[in-house]
Amino acid sequence: MGVRLYKEPKLIDPVLIACWPGIGNIGIMAVDMLRRLVAAEEFGEIESWDFFYPRKVLIRDGELKDLEFPDNKFYFKKTGKKDLLFFIGEEQPSDGAGVYAEGTKAYRMANLVLDVAQRFGCQRVYTSGAAVAPIHHTTRSRVWVVPNSKDLLDEIKRYGNTVLMSEVEGRDGQGNITGLNGLLLGVAKKRGLEAICVMGEIPIYIHGFPIPYPKGSKAVLEVLSAALAIKIPMDEINALIEQSDSEIESVYQKLPSEIKEQLDKLKYVVYAKPSEPEPITEEDKKKILQEIDKLFKKDTGRDQF
Amino acid sequence: MSEGKSFKLFTRPKFDNSSVVIVWNQDVGRLGSKVADYLARQLEGRELGEISPDGFFSLSGVTVEDDIAQFPESKFYRCRTENFVIFKSDIPRFDWYGFINLVLDIAEKYFKVKQIYTVGGMVLPSAHTTPRTLLSVVNSTEMKRILGGYDIVHDMDYETREDQRPTFSSYLLWAAKIRDIPGACLWVPVPFYLMTVEDPQACKKVLEFFNRHLELNINLADIDKEVEEQNQKIALVRGRFPDLDGYISKLESNLGLTADEGERLVKKIDELLGGSHSN
Repeated sequence: MGVRLYKEPKLIDPVLIACWPGIGNIGIMAVDMLRRLVAAEEFGEIESWDFFYPRKVLIRDGELKDLEFPDNKFYFKKTGKKDLLFFIGEEQPSDGAGVYAEGTKAYRMANLVLDVAQRFGCQRVYTSGAAVAPIHHTTRSRVWVVPNSKDLLDEIKRYGNTVLMSEVEGRDGQGNITGLNGLLLGVAKKRGLEAICVMGEIPIYIHGFPIPYPKGSKAVLEVLSAALAIKIPMDEINALIEQSDSEIESVYQKLPSEIKEQLDKLKYVVYAKPSEPEPITEEDKKKILQEIDKLFKKDTGRDQF
Repeated sequence: MSEGKSFKLFTRPKFDNSSVVIVWNQDVGRLGSKVADYLARQLEGRELGEISPDGFFSLSGVTVEDDIAQFPESKFYRCRTENFVIFKSDIPRFDWYGFINLVLDIAEKYFKVKQIYTVGGMVLPSAHTTPRTLLSVVNSTEMKRILGGYDIVHDMDYETREDQRPTFSSYLLWAAKIRDIPGACLWVPVPFYLMTVEDPQACKKVLEFFNRHLELNINLADIDKEVEEQNQKIALVRGRFPDLDGYISKLESNLGLTADEGERLVKKIDELLGGSHSN
């Protein structure tokens, strides 16, 4: 039980890009798209049943044929320079009832992923997620970047369209990265591996939407493209952005006008630092999120079989 | 697996090719636990062992239900019928796979399990006057053959919907399949307005099957009485509340109810019959 590798590719100085789903699916969409665009090949997996509750049962003619669990797969791509290793998890393992990884299962999974990475000589890890920011959905997402070592600061300052935690208003360099996209940074640090988490911005009022936010993913893709020195075509993500913009806009138009007025103030916020007019207050924020919740409220069915 | 920390057996009777019936306390119409309680009562069931809640349940406090503090239980019972074991448990909150494996380890090592059966209710938009049917999902062709001689619907096709997830019984059946332990999940559709109370008719359907299949020789008079009593109570409710009578009549004519009608029916039946279940 644990890891199953179907082949042992010979890799040169590989970089691991690992990701699990999170807010707005920003990181997972970017990393999975990158994996597909470079045509990375699947070569292994972490067996799921010890980590997750099954998500689908298949019954045929009264016989239980199969139970499906979330996938946790490894991929590789030989580039001729620094080869690429990918790990993509479809769900975050958790000992608790939360959506984000926590507890011994999460720690075990982080270690299994890094075991495989180190087995192939990996010394650098990237993870990706979302940064919930007071921005408007019509503005360009920036990327918050968090390394696990001071030595990496100079390098990441050279990536375009990025901010460090210390550059975000009111954070003073502090913050949390929830779930495995953050935990992996810590476990990598413990093993002496370099790791960087790149988080695409998502507007504060959209992070609760049950839809992806490709604008944030595009920002992440651009940073990964620069960091890994790979040219990535953006046609696919641009098409998704166009579609998502129109979906968000249609929801936006359904919001009460006083809420829209509040949200429109965010168009004038620059780099997560508030400027005139006055920013949204905590009370406003609560009201806005309640209104948005109402729009997405849906009923779920009872489990059968 | 070693006895002590994760589980304890109170006695060590010899088992040979046992049948293990598994039920969960969290079940539609309390079906599983009602079946287990009835079998244990009729067959002089005695506690045989238990799985420790540590690692499987939240132990940060207790939940209170119907004014009573609850604590998770996972117990094995032996009965006067030889080679017959009941496992009655709460559904674990953590480490599901570890829990399932522990149950199957114990069943294999100590009870020499031959077959496992799980029991569960499934919600159906039907009337309580509709005869209950027994459905099965098996994990092997051998089990399908074994159940072939009974009045059971055993040819269904199903795939979990996007907004749902498999039941814990299906998870266990899958794990048993990996170990080549023949097993079946037995399901009885329960009218939705009995889902929070009890459905003695569904219970009777399962008991009749076990009685015949496992040759238990249990007396079903008590459950017959409960069925009759519940029918009488619902008949009284129908007489007192014409709107509820109308809803049930619609269901009897295979007509659907609106969400509001359904909600009211569930609420009133729970209010009027909810306190009447006997364990």
